[in-house]
Amino acid sequence: MKKTNPIGGRIFIGLTFLFLYLPIFLLIVFSFNAGDSSAVWRGFSLEWYAALFHNRLIMESLYTTLLVSLLATAIATAAGTFAAIGLYSLSRRRRDALLVVNDIPMMNADIVTGVSLCLFFVAFFQGWGTFAQWFNGVQSAVELPVRLTLGFTTMLLAHVAFNIPYVILNVAPKLRQMDKNLVDAAQDLGCTWMQAFWKVILPEIKPGIVSGALIAFTMSIDDFVISYFTAGSSTSTLAMRIYSMTKKRITPEVNAVSTLLFLSVLALLVLNNVREIRQERRADRQEVREPSLMEKLSMRLSSPAGKWVRRGLTAAMACGFVVVVALLTGATASQPVVNVCSWGEYIDEELITQFEDATGIRVNYQTAESNEALYSLLKSGGADYDVIVPSDYMISQLMEEGMLEELDYSRIPNFQYIDERFRNLPYDPENKYTVPYSWGTLGLIYNANMVEEEPHSWGALYDDQYAGGVLLINNSRDALGAALLHLGYSVNTTDEGEIREAFALIAGASRRGVFQGKVMDQVFQKMEGGNAAIATYYAGDYLSMLDNQADGVDLRYVIPEEGANWFVDAMCVLKDAPHYDEAMEWINFIASTKANLANMDYIWYASPNAEALEQYPAYYEELYGEELDPELYKIMAAPAEVLERCEMYLVLPPATRALYNELWVQLGT
Amino acid sequence: MKNKRGWFAFPYVIWMALFVVIPIVIMAVYAFTAADPATGATQPTLGNFTGMGLYLSVFLRSFWLALLATLVCLLIGYPVSYWMAKEGPRFQRLAMALIMLPMWMNFLLRTYSWMSILENNGLLNQLFQNIGVIDLYNRIAPFFVDLHNVFARYFGGVETSFVPIYHFQMIGTPGAVVLGMVYNYLPFMILPIYSVIVKLDNSLIEAARDLGADGVRVFRRVIFPLSLPGILSGVTMVFVPSVSTFAISNLLGGGNQMMLGDLIELQFLGGAYNPHLGAAISMVMMVIVVVCMVVMNHFGEGEEQAVML
Repeated sequence: MKKTNPIGGRIFIGLTFLFLYLPIFLLIVFSFNAGDSSAVWRGFSLEWYAALFHNRLIMESLYTTLLVSLLATAIATAAGTFAAIGLYSLSRRRRDALLVVNDIPMMNADIVTGVSLCLFFVAFFQGWGTFAQWFNGVQSAVELPVRLTLGFTTMLLAHVAFNIPYVILNVAPKLRQMDKNLVDAAQDLGCTWMQAFWKVILPEIKPGIVSGALIAFTMSIDDFVISYFTAGSSTSTLAMRIYSMTKKRITPEVNAVSTLLFLSVLALLVLNNVREIRQERRADRQEVREPSLMEKLSMRLSSPAGKWVRRGLTAAMACGFVVVVALLTGATASQPVVNVCSWGEYIDEELITQFEDATGIRVNYQTAESNEALYSLLKSGGADYDVIVPSDYMISQLMEEGMLEELDYSRIPNFQYIDERFRNLPYDPENKYTVPYSWGTLGLIYNANMVEEEPHSWGALYDDQYAGGVLLINNSRDALGAALLHLGYSVNTTDEGEIREAFALIAGASRRGVFQGKVMDQVFQKMEGGNAAIATYYAGDYLSMLDNQADGVDLRYVIPEEGANWFVDAMCVLKDAPHYDEAMEWINFIASTKANLANMDYIWYASPNAEALEQYPAYYEELYGEELDPELYKIMAAPAEVLERCEMYLVLPPATRALYNELWVQLGT
Repeated sequence: MKNKRGWFAFPYVIWMALFVVIPIVIMAVYAFTAADPATGATQPTLGNFTGMGLYLSVFLRSFWLALLATLVCLLIGYPVSYWMAKEGPRFQRLAMALIMLPMWMNFLLRTYSWMSILENNGLLNQLFQNIGVIDLYNRIAPFFVDLHNVFARYFGGVETSFVPIYHFQMIGTPGAVVLGMVYNYLPFMILPIYSVIVKLDNSLIEAARDLGADGVRVFRRVIFPLSLPGILSGVTMVFVPSVSTFAISNLLGGGNQMMLGDLIELQFLGGAYNPHLGAAISMVMMVIVVVCMVVMNHFGEGEEQAVML
């Protein structure tokens, strides 16, 4: 091809690279920002790097990402190479048929692969559960685990499954190019088959294997969707961690980790380039090229003594693999663990450390986005939680479906401090399953500098004058609840007409572009930064926002005149929870007055612990040296006259729930 | 050599059956059944498919946005690959490395960086604020609104009043979603096209020139047809992830630009648990994508499928 390029061509290439790298560059710049803003520069600092190394969640997910990518690449490369060799010794017709199947994971959208594997694993677990129960019943020598869940293993299997086709795709052309008589010749000359493989086939197809491995690794490390559907709740890759963070508050620690990742990859590439350029120069000078590591290895392996080296190497690799697996499982098995799932920004994380130090039990703390999302997660078999903190109506629903375990109150002495008002509530009339965690109201949050007049009604959510500035709450119950209240209906109505009318109100506003988006914990960043004018959210979270609001933002909270919802979130234990004893300890610890005070101060939700609720103003004064604003305390712990105007959600009958789901899916279509 | 090592393929055949075929069969089973809301028992039904008309707009939006993103990727990717192939080998190697590099940072990180750029209070809007673009808009726009109102008065139409803006709405728009797709999947377009163009036989071009073809003609009749396999695989590699994305539309579309991926995610791990409908939508999407690809590959029939790298 002609080797001249118009100047315009170079500029175009330059602009494309600018487009590719500018966002990454900004990401890196803001990792050195002193403030926690990703838009305003507040001076140079390394605080986010320091914070990163103390952030267990991010570091763990980084480790998981690297581990799963490396393991999957190694396994897929080995398996794919052998499969390719096997496929090429089949007849053409069979091979082509198999290659079509091989192409499926590459042609399919990631989400289809992810969803189908998720369904497959869950179906397998169900079958396994039945089998294990039967097997444990007929003999008592070996105890098989009955409840399997998605986790690291399933994610690894999924990664291997989508990596192998890429390896085959890269190895296959090399096999096709290889002279088939070579192997026969080698064997005629006295090679055993194994020798022929190591000495003849492997060197021939090596470039294909290397590029296959490279692509497999790239695909693994870039993957989000397939991991998301197959990793379950307790394992999470960096991408999954970031995705869940984007639904809450993203801290610049993410920028820091991106920068580190980027720089290490960049360093690798530069090294590789330098090496290649050196090799090229040497080749230019027609010197003998130093064999690369891979070549040295294969030469070594094919020498006569290589047989033993080879066996030793295979054994060492097998041992290494076993050790890694043992370490992985051992590390988790040796220490008692409790898996907790709660909401975002819903605990003083100091409490986790205190609990771990006091009891030696490791807390695996996860968050879900909403009650409905938690339910989906539980149903799709992805969750191996012990303790969950759902809201009232979801508790009833889980109880109805037999998904909760009764609590052993003799081991939760701190239950005695729970206020009478929060015991035996409709969702758990005999109080056998729950210990309340917090309570509060759902109301309107608005930025007084962005609205003309203070809104007093839920109608503001659907008002065209705030077009593009309203945040719709991203769960069907709360969103439809507000609309029902605005129309003067009960939040617990089962009347299809009323529910459809409420939905029409939301859908109409959505079509007219009133909503900026559907959010849950993203609301923090949006409201605090002045990116939106009005939102529906919980009282406690409003108070948290006050601490972080940017200049020129004046957030207010109001319980609309139509009334609102008040809720209780309570700790429950899932049926067959693997760590029941640890769960009891955790619940008891969290129910203590001390923990409730710390939590109240941190998350600003009212505590159901009578002592803590009463002591909080004094606690605040002692901590901050100033009096707690009584207005704020009223918002946090709504007084009786406010609660009277509020309605609690009750569990809806299955048909109504199905209607809610159906309508919710239609929103935004 | 024949049949001696055929058994090497055997474990992989079982593996494929387990992890490729059976999962899709299970998905199909889910798609053709539904759970009774009252009892939870599943029964066969076609309801998941017949009721899908409700989501037509989501299908249309997904395919439309993905098509746009693919087109933009092609319009940027083809010239870049073409000009890159003309540069020296050292430049080419560096450029390839630079194109691959962002892929080694997870695509969510890349999408996240766009979030902070496009927010209402984000970098771009602050830039516009500081250099006075927003003030300029607020000064100029009333004139156009007045103009519109004059026309509306005389020719009939709805008069509007001018509302000053404080920022340009970028996040939550279809444009932001397309931008996110282009940004993330552009390398998937460049790599296959480049790998085809760089291997083009120079003597073919010389022959065409010798036979009197000018530059445009050489491109139209020789280079472009020969790079078609690269284009086809690039288009596939951009279109398929774009049409099924849910993270990009979620982060940059703010949940307003619901796409097929969001719809599916909502049914499995989101706020409206119904794996049967989710599986049905996945099936339909899979079939449409496969049909599109078969039709497209029909154009490039006889050509060797371009392999990435």
